[in-house]
Amino acid sequence: MWAYFLKRMFLIIPTLIGITLVSFLIMQMVPGGPVEQALQRMKMAAQTEGGPGFGSGALQTAVTSAELENIKKYYGFDQPVLTRYFRWLKNLLRLDLGTSYTYEKPVSTVIAGRIPVSLTFGLTGLFLTYLVCIPLGIKKALKHGETYDHWTSILVFLGYSIPAFALGVLLIVFLAGGSFLALFPTSGFVSDYFEDLTFLGKVLDILHHMFLPLVCYTIGGFATLTLLMKNSLMEELNKDYIRTALAKGLTYRQAVFRHGLRNGLIPIVTNIGMIIGVILSGSFLIETIFTIDGMGLLGYQSIVNRDYPVALGLLVISSLLMLVGRIISDFCLVLVDPRIRFR
Amino acid sequence: METALLEVKNLAVHFQTAGEPGGAGIAGGVSAGVIKAVDGVSFQLLPGETFGLVGESGCGKSVTALSLLKLLPTPPAILAGGEVIYRPEKKRPGKDLWQLPHGDLLKLRGKEISLIFQEPMTSLNPVMKIGRQIGEALRIHSAEKTPAAKEIRREVLAMLTRVGIHHPERAYDAYPHELSGGMRQRAMIAMALICRPKLVIADEPTTALDVTIQAQILELLKELQASYHLSLLLITHNLGIIAETAHRVAVMYMGRIVELASVKELFHNPLHPYTLGLFSSIPRLDKEEALAAIPGMVPDPLRLPAGCYFAPRCPKAMEVCHREYPMSREVAPGHTVACWLQEK
Repeated sequence: MWAYFLKRMFLIIPTLIGITLVSFLIMQMVPGGPVEQALQRMKMAAQTEGGPGFGSGALQTAVTSAELENIKKYYGFDQPVLTRYFRWLKNLLRLDLGTSYTYEKPVSTVIAGRIPVSLTFGLTGLFLTYLVCIPLGIKKALKHGETYDHWTSILVFLGYSIPAFALGVLLIVFLAGGSFLALFPTSGFVSDYFEDLTFLGKVLDILHHMFLPLVCYTIGGFATLTLLMKNSLMEELNKDYIRTALAKGLTYRQAVFRHGLRNGLIPIVTNIGMIIGVILSGSFLIETIFTIDGMGLLGYQSIVNRDYPVALGLLVISSLLMLVGRIISDFCLVLVDPRIRFR
Repeated sequence: METALLEVKNLAVHFQTAGEPGGAGIAGGVSAGVIKAVDGVSFQLLPGETFGLVGESGCGKSVTALSLLKLLPTPPAILAGGEVIYRPEKKRPGKDLWQLPHGDLLKLRGKEISLIFQEPMTSLNPVMKIGRQIGEALRIHSAEKTPAAKEIRREVLAMLTRVGIHHPERAYDAYPHELSGGMRQRAMIAMALICRPKLVIADEPTTALDVTIQAQILELLKELQASYHLSLLLITHNLGIIAETAHRVAVMYMGRIVELASVKELFHNPLHPYTLGLFSSIPRLDKEEALAAIPGMVPDPLRLPAGCYFAPRCPKAMEVCHREYPMSREVAPGHTVACWLQEK
């Protein structure tokens, strides 16, 4: 078994190289890269300096080929693509993700700065989802076909069908001072007077700010997990071993919770490794609506601004987390299902 | 006659089928209706005897077995009527299992009356160790609130040895998939016997096993039945198993018992044409004739014939057979048949 997982770990390396190589090449092909942006900035600067009257045609020649070379060299674009990729890869091995073009700071610093916000949302959202979905799924399975099952299904699917950003706008309009109630702050992660609060006050302040965005983050995910739990448990409840448990003299509840549930949770466990991905979780739309400086916004802006080091940095970290997450999932599966063996 | 340990009187179990609205019942359309899976079944189970219930698939024998302890999910099953009188003490009046408060029934299940199921792979929880699954019955029926784990382990290991498992320690800590089919069924039997029940219902206990293993398991059941003085209700479709194991036997067809007799009597003097049909469809090595199958098909349980259910397939059917279902009558001591041929 350990040999198997070790093999899986080693397989991460070629997979990661494949992912980054393809992404690197694609990014280089997109027009509007840093060199072009620098040229644009120089043109703009020349225009404002020279004032009106000068023909722009003359200015274009103002950027000499020597200057162009300098710019290219500054961004490392004087080398062929593959050389640049391998240089980036070499730096990656030293855990150096390069410097952001936009922020002119190391990429790791830029990404690390967004982690607290993303992690807070990611973790609370995740706990909330599991906390709601597993008991809800169990109860729905036990009350299959009854009124309770029907109305919770309606709620869950309603949450699934509303786009998160639309819900965000609705929540702001109705609950955050838009037009009706002003129960929650419209935007931001903390209040202006945050520093003056006690510890408990700080926690409450963050929760107060988090509530609406968190609802938007999580509500769409309820449907999948709840129904997965419900269906998986219902399938188990029809199996013969439940009848055996009843024949032993267990109550139906005991049979469900002592025998059915552990079997029913197996498919849920398959998802558990994805938890690790919450470090980078974020949604550009929700973060924009609620003005939160999170990972989603950073990723989006890095692509719009052609901030390759940041975009690649995010990509490399998220791919790595995903690959490791899968291994963790498989490992958890081995822990809960004794039938899985390695030959 | 001895006092019965279990007396089943006029048992009726129905199933409500959903069907399609307006379904015609032919070629794809499924009509809704009530299927009478068990329709007026009566028999007695004496202390220490093995009673066989035999019939082809779908005749209602497993439903009978499961309904005794109310183990059928309702709905779709409907416990339509009848009495299941359980009488553990000869001097005291029995109690009707179907009328018992749920809590009292739970105390009987697995303790005084237990079940052995057909398919030991699916009937055991795949993610729980064998020893724990067997010990669970002891644990929930223990008089103490928290019975000593050591004590339970000791008893389970002893029972595993008793059912012929050579390495009880290893089996105790094994998961069901780690054991062979025969071992699993032995573990299943250990589970049924761990609380020393008075009555064991075995629903096709050997059907899922290899023939050689079948023989071993039957031998074990027979031996345990004798040494624990168990009453065994043995459900099977295999007349050979009945011949080897049972004392008395009832033949079921379409939810009703058509013939009931001691095994000796039934095998020497079968009277119902259906029983005769079953015997002649057993392949024999000493005769070179083609295997005689019972002609025709089992009728649609939603559209049963007006008279005897077997009449459409019966080679000796008379006019009256298509008109009215025959009453059960005793043709010899302990031998009852429901057939018009026996009416004078």
